[in-house]
Amino acid sequence: MAGRVKTKLDKSGEMLAYGEAAVRNNAAILEYCRTSMAALSGATAGLLGLTGFYGFGFYVFAVIGLWCLILFKAGAHWEKYFISRRALLTSGFFGGLFTYVLFWTFLYGMVHVY
Amino acid sequence: MAKAIHKLILLSGLLSLFHAAYSAAQHRSYLRITEQEFVSLPIDILTQGIVSLFITLYGVMNIAGDFKEIRATVDLENKSWETLRNIPSFYVFNHRGKALSPNYIPPSDEMD
Repeated sequence: MAGRVKTKLDKSGEMLAYGEAAVRNNAAILEYCRTSMAALSGATAGLLGLTGFYGFGFYVFAVIGLWCLILFKAGAHWEKYFISRRALLTSGFFGGLFTYVLFWTFLYGMVHVY
Repeated sequence: MAKAIHKLILLSGLLSLFHAAYSAAQHRSYLRITEQEFVSLPIDILTQGIVSLFITLYGVMNIAGDFKEIRATVDLENKSWETLRNIPSFYVFNHRGKALSPNYIPPSDEMD
């Protein structure tokens, strides 16, 4: 059977219908990518020996990099897969930041302190 | 097979990341022995770290799976009206239609 259908009113007054199963599937993939990105970029920042604001700048850089990778994967028609392109960039930003800091400090300690 | 290639990409990215970390640790211990001040890592380790990060991210993203179309019509387009009214729980197989089969042997009166 088809999953439940969610509707949204477009800016131009057009009704858009989304299949909820597909939306949830895409969100799960995004969450997976974002968590991995936070852990891996944290590890990279740690091994590069970034400190202070350079580290947080590197996180922003990694987030934007992942955004570009996802848009590259989605191809020219990103509207087919995502409701909003801006939410793709910003959602889960601070949640990922904590994972990032954890791996950043861990790898920094492993490589540069000990 | 695409999956195997992506796993290989992920593995090579992780190994490269680990190698960069090991190089950085070696560089730190070299500085410590020669009593120099740490300013920043050499450019090749920096480049290797960032490039292997993106290689690994690419591998992770492809392993995570493919995106699905979110428009509901795409999902519904492939379904016919018969699919929607098909309810498997109410299937009946033991009915008089079997009398139409050429191999059908009618039960004799003695049998029942």
